[in-house]
Amino acid sequence: MSLSWILRRLLLIVYTVFVVSVLVFGITQVLPADAAVTLLGENATADALAAIRDRLGLGDPIWMQYLRWVGHAVTGDFGLSMRTGQPVGPEMVAALGRSLLLAFAAIALMLVVAVPLGVVAAVRQGKLADTLTSLVSYLGVAFPEFVTATLFAMLLADTLQWLPATGYVSPFEDPWGAVRHLALPVLTASVILVAHVSRMVRSETLDVLHSDYVRAARLKGLPERTVLTRHALRNALLPVVTIVALDVGYLLGGIIVIEEIFAIPGIGRQLMVAITARDLPSIQAGALIMSATYAVANTLADVAYAFLDKRIRYD
Amino acid sequence: MTTPVLSIRNYTLDYLTAGGPVRVLQDIALDIAPGEVLGLVGESGSGKSSLAWAIMRHLPKNAREVSGDIRLGDTDLRALPGRDLTRVRGRRIGMVFQDPSTSLNPTLPVGRQITETLVITRGLSQAEAWTEALALLGHVELRNPEALMKRYPHEISGGEKQRILIATAFGCRPELIVFDEPTTALDVITGARILELFTRLRAETGVAALYISHDLALVSRVADRVAVMKHGKLVEEAPADRIFRAPQHPETQILVDAVPRPERRLVHDQPGERVLLAAQDISVRYARRRLFRPAPPPATQAVGFNVRAGEILGVVGESGSGKSSIARALTGLADFSGSIRFDGRPIAAGRAMDRQYRRAVQIVFQHPDSSLNPRQKVGEILARPLRLFGGNVSDVGRLLEQVRLPASFADRWPHQLSGGQKQRVAIARAFAAKPSLVICDEITAPLDVSVQASIIELLLTLRAETGTAYLFITHDLNLIRQIAHRIAVMRGGELVDLLPIDAIDAEHVHPYTRDLIAASPTPVG
Repeated sequence: MSLSWILRRLLLIVYTVFVVSVLVFGITQVLPADAAVTLLGENATADALAAIRDRLGLGDPIWMQYLRWVGHAVTGDFGLSMRTGQPVGPEMVAALGRSLLLAFAAIALMLVVAVPLGVVAAVRQGKLADTLTSLVSYLGVAFPEFVTATLFAMLLADTLQWLPATGYVSPFEDPWGAVRHLALPVLTASVILVAHVSRMVRSETLDVLHSDYVRAARLKGLPERTVLTRHALRNALLPVVTIVALDVGYLLGGIIVIEEIFAIPGIGRQLMVAITARDLPSIQAGALIMSATYAVANTLADVAYAFLDKRIRYD
Repeated sequence: MTTPVLSIRNYTLDYLTAGGPVRVLQDIALDIAPGEVLGLVGESGSGKSSLAWAIMRHLPKNAREVSGDIRLGDTDLRALPGRDLTRVRGRRIGMVFQDPSTSLNPTLPVGRQITETLVITRGLSQAEAWTEALALLGHVELRNPEALMKRYPHEISGGEKQRILIATAFGCRPELIVFDEPTTALDVITGARILELFTRLRAETGVAALYISHDLALVSRVADRVAVMKHGKLVEEAPADRIFRAPQHPETQILVDAVPRPERRLVHDQPGERVLLAAQDISVRYARRRLFRPAPPPATQAVGFNVRAGEILGVVGESGSGKSSIARALTGLADFSGSIRFDGRPIAAGRAMDRQYRRAVQIVFQHPDSSLNPRQKVGEILARPLRLFGGNVSDVGRLLEQVRLPASFADRWPHQLSGGQKQRVAIARAFAAKPSLVICDEITAPLDVSVQASIIELLLTLRAETGTAYLFITHDLNLIRQIAHRIAVMRGGELVDLLPIDAIDAEHVHPYTRDLIAASPTPVG
């Protein structure tokens, strides 16, 4: 892993975000939404519409509008929301923060549960423990999020009254309240992740347990515990890094159902609101921030993987 | 008589399969005396590896031990509970495996993999183990052990890895070491050096060894006694020098006869004068220069040679020397720079090669498993080139008979055939196009010696019938010296020698060619 490789990866992020910015800008241009009409309402006079178009520069060539938008965006200025009149950037970043908190909590819970589950299933292949974890995994994958969410809410919030059913509390204001509010959405999001990651850990561990070097480690007299921890797990868990990075993408975009059910103002939900209101600056900012986060997460995973597995040489 | 280190009596082993139990080992009885090397020879499927796994107590789940004893000194290995096994493995029996590149954990530095073994088997502290490991690596002639200890397996060569594994096995000071084909995965010269190392360490330590191999010539050089296995039975056991001179059992005789001996020529004619294929300055390059990245060096550098009509041109060299790249260039599978003339006609490179040339030059690959489509029956596989090059599809049966397979094999799937039969189908497919040059890329490497001998015989018969020339790529110098008219020696992408076969022992050959000859084990006696 060389410095030039890391630099190239960073350049790749810039490139990815650039391509996304062109796409996002292009799509918002062809959307059937006229910024002037959205701002002034359906009953505005033709003169007023022309004046505001002129002020916003909507008459300029598209590339000029794009450059102006990108120029402001790199400084964090995504314009004012057409819905609330507030700056879009800070609002979206705050929403991203809430989503990332949910995502990282879900990933942490998933790792704690899925890795031991997968390893035990592999070591006890074909035995009861393996069958049970497979069953649980398939159930987890089979239920859509809104079903698991409803089941958890019914049990933990409604029947047992342990947890609040909806809402979001900032961890800086009320840490314990934040944990209680996050519990249900985190639980729901991690169910599906646990299901597929534990399956993957199981098959990776099985592969490694049948490898020549694990056989060699056993036959040179190492105790089974050392063979498992030092030789098998180290290699079996490497691909999990890549999966976690992909899951960040899923959690940011696909978690919208969970944000909606539990009323968490995360980035997915904000984006949904923006689209419904045809709030162009919010749509652009949300999409761009999400894709940048995704690109960064994947780059981090690649770097981590290269660091952990010395066979991967990037030069 | 002293107590043997290893003593096996009446050992019988079955594998349970869907079709019922299959006998793998039948009434095996053998002893290894202290300090003795017993060579165990047999073809694939003869049960020699199963015997090794039985000794190491590492049998697959479906194995059923029917009867017999395996004793290490006075320890009954079969009666040993799993917990005590770790005290025997490494400490009292070591093992060196076939493929050093898969036997080391890819994500741990090699030093760690030596010291962890020494700590467990000899009860050393980490610091003592580190010092001992340095000494061991120095002793197996590895340069700069300190730096080596911190490297990862992918950063060192196959020969270095095998030295490390051998050093570890000897370093545990066991009573017996099982060697399972320790040089098969290495190239000829590296293998020969590993063999020298084995002989030296064995003489120094006096440890007993079971040396498993399919190569009778090699085993007869390293072993005191040789045991021959066939279908799970020991058919003959004799001192190493006698097994070659006076084999008693017919199976041993077959094995002895199949060992290629360079002095026994199988081809006696001379090729015609007409140049069939003239290749000049062939350079194959697999990747191009890219942004931020220089182009890798070419796989072959400006290689030039001629093949005459009906000639057998042998191409030898280590893996990575560019032999296969030449085959890929000549068949249009890889782009190249340079020029090819075929029958005096210039031939375009890569995809632009014309159909007439593609028909005339055919290739047979190393692994028939991956070169025969598993979803097509043999008949379909052979009908395709017939249809493509204007043959008659009803000729499939005749093609099969030409390669000495029954015509009824047209209805079989590739997986229903043995390795040798599959390679015959691949040869039939090449000959379906009525080629004038067939490129054979290591086609006998995955086969047993006796099967190899019959495939070579087939190729020579086909040549006599059709007058085809062969470009025969191999790493087996003894084999190629039996059949080739000329030999091309490749190293690092370059052609270092191109010699008529009778000049191979001459004074002026390239030093590398001489090394290759010296490293090729010839049978004793």
